Amino acid sequence: MSSQPSPIKLTSQKPGHIVFRRRYVAWRINFRVLLFAILGATVLVLLALWAMLLGTANISVVEAVRASFGKGDPDTIFVMQQLRVPRVLCAILVGGCLAMSGAVFQGLVRNPLVSPDIIGIDAGATAAAVFWILGGQSFISLPVAAFLGAMATAVAIYFLSWKGGISPDRLILVGIGVAAALAAVTTFLLIRTPPREARPAQVWTIGSIYGSNWGDIQWLAPVFFMGLLGSVILMWPLRLLQLGDDLTRGLGVPLERTRLLLIVVGCLLAATAVAVAGPIGFVALMTPHIVKMLAGPLSGSVMVLIAVAGGIFLLGADMIAQHALPVSLPVGLLTAAVGGPYFLFLLYRTNDRS
Amino acid sequence: MVATARLAADSVTLGYDEQTIVSDVSLAIPDGKITTIIGPNGCGKSTLLRSLVRLKAPDSGTVILDGQAIQHFPTKEVAKRLGLLAQQATAPGGVTVEDLVMRGRFPHQSFLQPPNQQDRDAVDRALDLTNMTGLRTRPVDQLSGGQRQRAWIAMVLAQETPILLLDEPTTYLDIAHQLQIVELVRHLNETDGRTIVLVLHDINEAIRISHNIVAMKDGQILAQGSPASIITSELIGEIYGAECDVLLAPGQDKPFCIPRGRHAASPESREAAAAVFEVDGLRTSYGKINVLHGLTCDMPAGAITGIVGPNACGKSTLLRSCGRLLRPTEGQVRLAGRDVNRGKHKELSRNLSLMAQSPTMPSGFQVEDLVSLGRAPHQGFFRQWREEDEEAVETALNHCNLCELRRRSIETLSGGQRQRAWFGMTLAQDTPVLLLDEPTTFLDLAAQIEMLDLVREMNQAQQRSVVMVLHDLNLAARYCDYLIVMKDGQIVTSGTPRAVVTEEMLADVFGIEATVMPDPANGMPLVIPHQAIEEMHASAHDSNNG
Amino acid sequence: MSISISPSEIPRLSIRERWLPHISRGAGLVIGAGLLLVVALISIRLGTHGISTSDVWNGLFHYDPTSYNQTLVRTMRLPRTVIAVGIGCSMAVAGAVMQGVTRNPLADPSIIGVSSGSSFAIVVVVYYGHRTSAAEYLPFAFLGGVLAAFTVMAIGAAGKGGMSPVRLALAGIVISALLSSWTSALLLLDQSTYELVRYWFAGSVAYRDINLFWQLSPILLVPAVLCLAMGHHLNILGMGEEMAQSLGMRTGRLRLFATSLVVLMTAAAVAIAGPISYIGLAIPHMVRSVVGPDYRWVLPYSMIYGAIFLLLSDILGRIVMRPGEIEVGIVTALFGAPFLIYLARKRSLAG
Repeated sequence: MSSQPSPIKLTSQKPGHIVFRRRYVAWRINFRVLLFAILGATVLVLLALWAMLLGTANISVVEAVRASFGKGDPDTIFVMQQLRVPRVLCAILVGGCLAMSGAVFQGLVRNPLVSPDIIGIDAGATAAAVFWILGGQSFISLPVAAFLGAMATAVAIYFLSWKGGISPDRLILVGIGVAAALAAVTTFLLIRTPPREARPAQVWTIGSIYGSNWGDIQWLAPVFFMGLLGSVILMWPLRLLQLGDDLTRGLGVPLERTRLLLIVVGCLLAATAVAVAGPIGFVALMTPHIVKMLAGPLSGSVMVLIAVAGGIFLLGADMIAQHALPVSLPVGLLTAAVGGPYFLFLLYRTNDRS
Repeated sequence: MVATARLAADSVTLGYDEQTIVSDVSLAIPDGKITTIIGPNGCGKSTLLRSLVRLKAPDSGTVILDGQAIQHFPTKEVAKRLGLLAQQATAPGGVTVEDLVMRGRFPHQSFLQPPNQQDRDAVDRALDLTNMTGLRTRPVDQLSGGQRQRAWIAMVLAQETPILLLDEPTTYLDIAHQLQIVELVRHLNETDGRTIVLVLHDINEAIRISHNIVAMKDGQILAQGSPASIITSELIGEIYGAECDVLLAPGQDKPFCIPRGRHAASPESREAAAAVFEVDGLRTSYGKINVLHGLTCDMPAGAITGIVGPNACGKSTLLRSCGRLLRPTEGQVRLAGRDVNRGKHKELSRNLSLMAQSPTMPSGFQVEDLVSLGRAPHQGFFRQWREEDEEAVETALNHCNLCELRRRSIETLSGGQRQRAWFGMTLAQDTPVLLLDEPTTFLDLAAQIEMLDLVREMNQAQQRSVVMVLHDLNLAARYCDYLIVMKDGQIVTSGTPRAVVTEEMLADVFGIEATVMPDPANGMPLVIPHQAIEEMHASAHDSNNG
Repeated sequence: MSISISPSEIPRLSIRERWLPHISRGAGLVIGAGLLLVVALISIRLGTHGISTSDVWNGLFHYDPTSYNQTLVRTMRLPRTVIAVGIGCSMAVAGAVMQGVTRNPLADPSIIGVSSGSSFAIVVVVYYGHRTSAAEYLPFAFLGGVLAAFTVMAIGAAGKGGMSPVRLALAGIVISALLSSWTSALLLLDQSTYELVRYWFAGSVAYRDINLFWQLSPILLVPAVLCLAMGHHLNILGMGEEMAQSLGMRTGRLRLFATSLVVLMTAAAVAIAGPISYIGLAIPHMVRSVVGPDYRWVLPYSMIYGAIFLLLSDILGRIVMRPGEIEVGIVTALFGAPFLIYLARKRSLAG
């Protein structure tokens, strides 16, 4: 231990913040955000427990928790370990990845109304996946194909918008263009195929986490945690990016390198989520908004909260899609139905005279 | 007493949402005279002007045109009597001057009616009056700033209205072009007998041109009358809240205002000990256009260096090159002996901070958050908020008088306060060298002085070196220890203000005829502009300032 | 400083200087019209099934119902060509007007949600109403498109900021996303609906009902002609809201009127041919680079060259994958997207 550990000090400087200083670290943490994050995590855990109880097989709480850890009735163990737990985890991780990716992109292009699906990442994954399914390739390698499609699209967008640097506006426009072209390709592929064969591809393009398994989670979880770490660290230069190119550089941030890093993190998160679950809309767009409304401008801790909120959002939407409606629907339909009106409400409230 | 007034406001109150901008103002615009509305930012002068042309309906009261409430006229009828040049008028790329001017005939045309001889004659007359005939087939976006403004004025003239209203027609123009526009306005009034209403930023310009000045503050008219009768240092102090000397300009029997700050200029020019920046054979280009053609100069350490010159002379480019925002194609800039383009970005930004001209406004930030961002070059992921950071932010907040505003969101600040917040951020960066790009744009008289006083304090109290680009020659002469004068990407001359600011230099570089006299208060050179020397240059090379 | 010049010094434009630009632009229109005729004839002649030029001629002017080729010309190729011309004209004009009204060079009629509204309406009518013939459900497509577009406009205009191009675009994107997710939901529930409408979704001028086209043609073409007359007004609007108002224009009314025309045209076009994107975006841009920004010229040029462009795209779709066809909606999207990227790259950083 250091000889003179300075105590944790509650400064009067800025309300709701804790300053934490040790020999090698000096952090100022927003107390309110931290509280929200803890609250959010609790809600998430409770929601997850509830989600594991829902379903055709009636299982009690104790049984469910025991079965998740491999104890009790073998049927229950199967239902929990192979069906419900993976699905719940998958919903949480996909939601978290999407929400973080949205926050990263919105900060990067300085436009709160942009998300990875608008700038073409989802369209790339969709085109690749549809091609893969219609080509009769195996469903096991489908996520890989979708992931590669999304990443290839991201690389293409990056290079197409590079002109001595990346300008946010150009990135958005190029992304929209690429998305439209890929959507045309998807339509073309679907229309060339007899309807019955096209149906699985059609279902994929809506986005769902039905049928997720441990294989997905083995892949999602590392990306989620790496992405979380990466974006928390990158929040630091990202805040400065909000000041415009000149000032960002003036404050000592290597602009293009930071942008590239942000794009890589954002794309990896989005591509992974889409590869596993298909193009689920609105989560990436909305979650950062709601969180920022509650907790203030972006910072590392707000990013954690965004990830948690994304998990809650998608899990909740999936529960409704799966259980609350007369027919079980893909969750992608539900996020749009919930997200669309909410976004319009945001639009109504915000006053952009630009 | 005003004899006749075709346009008048009768106890007009104007506001946006719940906020009242102009309260209970009555004003008669005298016919055949030039009337200028002046006042600090946010005093409601532009809003009042907009209500006079029916762009904004009053909450109460009426605007009266030719004895009738203006809202009783058909829209086109108003447009036949009142011509407005709005501040943010834009033409799409590629429209020729002639086409633009023809659009001014809109109120005289009916649906589907092609332009007739009458329209063409009006366009010819308007082009003639503004001396744009030779440029009539040129696209507007390829003109220089002054020419473009003349084209817009021609468009309003083609409207053939007896009353013209111009909202800040000289903003963004350099001094020669400003003088040209002022001259043009006077000409329109004298030869055509048109009534002209102006909103102006620059008080001396207003004095020079107007017959009648309306001084506004906080949505009310404080005084109106001829410049000679109403402009006193008390009135200026009352409107702008800044101390101001008023003296009689030689050769013109009109008053001339010199705002005074807290700091008198340092009269004894200091010996430049060492150079903070050494610029060596610097060439810079944007794409294929060369902007700087091999500059070599030194900027003294511990002093305030000002870079001045007409629009598009490359002054901002020089500043940006010093701040590593632009890579030179040739030559180098050395900061304290080291090439600024070498080494880590973070290293440089611990030694040099930069205040950009129009930074992007981040949403949802409080003043304190913004100022804290200035600490970025001193922080790392594990060391985000050390005592030094806290101290530096507190000091910056104190210096910039931001302590009461620290929890305010930046969006709610006034222009002057916002500029102070940006400066606070620059100060929190705690660097020995500051680069400021036009720190006084968009600010009114008092806020300009306040800003520059602050810069001066930082320089004197903490020995920081400052390099700034300034628009206003008088402010530059007063606040800078060392001036670099540029034209067409080259340095014309440099030295102390007293050595540099001469009548010859002004004629040479800025193309204006002016008197330079010593400021009676401190002996620094004072520029009193008279008129532009060369007034029509349709050459293409000065048209790159879009 | 001398501003006054004696009248003799003023260079007056000669007759030739004054009229030459107008004459050359007029000539461009005439050439365009000739080109359109040629392309239309090519469109009638070319296709999976080879038809000789004489059959085309006879089919058009001396129709012999017993000849298979001539019947083909009359019943398939000619309707297809006529529809393509009609749609191409009105979509390009709609795009130009939209760009003028929003003062946004990237505006496109598709941003106001017409096609998703139409799709949704079709699917609803087919699914719940069990109407299976195109003649029955396509009028609903028109109504759905109009409804969706006016909803988008209402939402874009509501709220504190008032109607701005950005809000309009965002409201359009979101309403489209919402409607298309509901459309997908219905399609998922019912396979037969999907089978019925999926060709319509790609956007095509082939195998369309010419009678429906004739029924909707007033809605398609009358607004287009009205729009042609609005060039001068769009020019004035292009100078900015305040300038236009102070020149005596009622900008709000003009915007509403022009946008309504655009909605009518687009909804009719979508009902006939399905969503065909990018004509409205790309054609006015290409035209502008030739004739300049003056809407009095941009509009008629867009009309003619929009028709040519759509015909050419349709012909291309017919010949690249013989004996199959690519729907023209896909062809235009594949061409239009690179064009959008090109535009994005061309705009300067400062823009």
